[in-house]
Amino acid sequence: MTAPGVFDPADLGTCISCGFCLPACPTYKLTGDEASSPRGRIALMRAIDADEVNVFDVAAREQGSFCLGCRACEPVCPSGVPYGRLIEQLRDAQWTGRRRPWRILPLLAFATSRKLIRAAGLLRRHAKRTRAADSDPGDTLMLGCFERALFPAVSKAAVATIPGLRVPADQGCCGALHAHNGDIARGEELARQLGERPGRIVSTAGGCAAHLAAVIGRDRVVDYSEALLEHGAAAGEILVDGRRARIGLQDSCHLRNGLGVAGAPRAVIEAIGEYVEVPGAGDCCGAAGTYAILRRADSRRVLANKISELARLDLDFLVVVNPGCQRQMIGAVRRARLRTRVLHLAELVALVRQ
Amino acid sequence: MSAGTANHVDGRALSARLGRIVGSKNVEVRPSALIPYQTDATFGFSGVPLAVVRPGSTEEVAEVLRWASANHVPVVPRGAGTSLAAGAVPIHGGIVLAVTRMNAILSIDPVDLTATVQPGVTTQTLAQAVAAHNLHYPPDPGSQRVSTLGGNVATNAGGLHGLKYGNTAGYVLGVQAVLADGQVIRAGGQLVKDVAGYDLVHLLTGSEGTLAVLTELTLALRPAPATSTTGLAYFSDLESASDAVRGVIAAGVLPATLEFLDARCIGAVEGYAKLGLDTRAGALLLFGDDGSPAEVERTVAIMAQAMRDHGAASVQVATVVAESEALLAARRCALPALSRLGGATMLEDVGVPRSRLPELVRRIDEIAARHDVVIATFGHAGDGNAHPTGCFDPREERQRERVAAAFADVFAAAIELGGTITGEHGVGAAKLPFLAAQLGAPHTALLARIKHAFDPEGILNPGKLGS
Repeated sequence: MTAPGVFDPADLGTCISCGFCLPACPTYKLTGDEASSPRGRIALMRAIDADEVNVFDVAAREQGSFCLGCRACEPVCPSGVPYGRLIEQLRDAQWTGRRRPWRILPLLAFATSRKLIRAAGLLRRHAKRTRAADSDPGDTLMLGCFERALFPAVSKAAVATIPGLRVPADQGCCGALHAHNGDIARGEELARQLGERPGRIVSTAGGCAAHLAAVIGRDRVVDYSEALLEHGAAAGEILVDGRRARIGLQDSCHLRNGLGVAGAPRAVIEAIGEYVEVPGAGDCCGAAGTYAILRRADSRRVLANKISELARLDLDFLVVVNPGCQRQMIGAVRRARLRTRVLHLAELVALVRQ
Repeated sequence: MSAGTANHVDGRALSARLGRIVGSKNVEVRPSALIPYQTDATFGFSGVPLAVVRPGSTEEVAEVLRWASANHVPVVPRGAGTSLAAGAVPIHGGIVLAVTRMNAILSIDPVDLTATVQPGVTTQTLAQAVAAHNLHYPPDPGSQRVSTLGGNVATNAGGLHGLKYGNTAGYVLGVQAVLADGQVIRAGGQLVKDVAGYDLVHLLTGSEGTLAVLTELTLALRPAPATSTTGLAYFSDLESASDAVRGVIAAGVLPATLEFLDARCIGAVEGYAKLGLDTRAGALLLFGDDGSPAEVERTVAIMAQAMRDHGAASVQVATVVAESEALLAARRCALPALSRLGGATMLEDVGVPRSRLPELVRRIDEIAARHDVVIATFGHAGDGNAHPTGCFDPREERQRERVAAAFADVFAAAIELGGTITGEHGVGAAKLPFLAAQLGAPHTALLARIKHAFDPEGILNPGKLGS
């Protein structure tokens, strides 16, 4: 294929190579190699765009896959480079046809089929559907496709803690999985389908929320923590051994870097217990969507620093705001044999109400 | 076809040879993987390296240099690649020697007031580490979160506190360096006073990797100031802001911070940082001081009064430290934020005696108008160091040429006003053609002789300084 046309020229033209993104990048921190930094990858993308490097070049494919897609480079970029879009564009070109990583094929197939998602969700008993909407559009909960299967308690907790939150019957995937894994067109199509329902969509998954907002508009998408705060902070607190529970947070990269939501989940926790800022809470945990499956060893390397911090802090709860992070941190805490319990924010709030 | 094959074979042999020194995973020779090392943060300069190596110790650096000397292969030292003067661009190819793996803080001594570090430690990492001991490492280049101390020393980098604290050179007490032939030397040490021998510490400082590769640095620290405060003053234009700078110094204060931004920079910075800056103002002066609370209160009050006396439209003083830090952080983003104006930026780094600053600013305006280019100016008003930045569309060749022509005039103006072509970024490949105009032929010839004494084969960062 011809390389030009892979990238949106306006997106690629924004970077002035200042390098301010380097220290924010988890893969640059791991390697000290500029090729695995956002600026380095953009240099490579420009070479692809100029037809100096083939888009399927081995080093180019390695960098397209090694990037976590965490977008930690975006908030620190004074030039406003939309790096998340650029890496999606690169993968869209690289991960086509038989070059798509085989291990994610079943996931994509699952997430493309509404029937399968619904069946899995029903089997796992996620939040019950509410009756069809009356005239008031209101807020509706998005049932994430993998969250339904992996953590069905999260949607139930969300419905239990936000008054009037409705759960529409027929929900598919938001398309984030597709967009992040080399199929932008399908990713946008699915997001638009989901956006056909009226009112705001409440999300319990940072990755879904950021993707959905990019396609259907930020004003249509609200994170669970933001929606909860609109109803006032949670009433009551969680006690452990007679004292306020010590609770930390692992940010969701796309919630923080993509949607710009970092303060709201913290504010929710502060009302419930003793909030403890985990050093590097905003850094990627290595789950990064399918990354933990596709690049397990690198995913664990990115995770490694967090484990020593968590062991030192000895928290009662570690709160997550995205199912990928939830899976990653539950595994990490179990392997390190820590007593800390990993919960989604909605599950934590539901504990107060019990 | 044959050239490609030959390169490929050479590449594999080179990779194997260098891999024996630094470990195979710390060598890269694949052309596509080397693309990020063709450039630094400077617009319009690139070179194609043969390889990048990431040594982990002084011994490995020495062995790479022994091999490179024996084989006449250029070696270009590199920190984080944030040079704004194409100092880290391998314009003559060769091996890029990245020091990013050598990133240990070896010691912090609260009695000798020194820190000894490897060159790959970032400026901010050291500043934070010494702050934990209630100590202060003052040099703070705009890229401090990214830039390495090795790069800071090699370019004698400045920062936002140059007026009170000076450039990096004032804090370099000792270095360990590897010469081109692989010999290791030490100069200076943990001593405040040491006059044994020529002052090689300060010859190597600012030598831009052309004389030796720095592998260990001993840096001076200071007790941390108890507090700091920053204020903002708005002016109708940059010239009146520059005039107020004269007023502040004449009032008997030596501020820690005295930074200016013109209207375009205010808009660009506000677009990114969203601090509520007044984007209708013609210019902004960021002023501040550090020290004991009483002293800071006194000096900031004097500065604020001087601003008002010199026509400031409004003056505000930050009430909490976090607010001051946010203002300074925003100021550090001025350059990359300016890309929002047109895509590409070419910035310069001229300096004049502080008293001539209003005249420099006026001349930059005239030059921009004459060449029909957009120049946004910010910089360190207090030390007379300005960063006029050409903002243009990189796809427009003519725009680029006009910006380059304008900057040739800006250099001439700075030199005429008794100034310099570079206050803190270094000469690099970008400004080498203009160096003789400032220094004169006998001086640049002497630079070449110094270069030859250190590096007779000319392998260290060729095409920079004494070349």
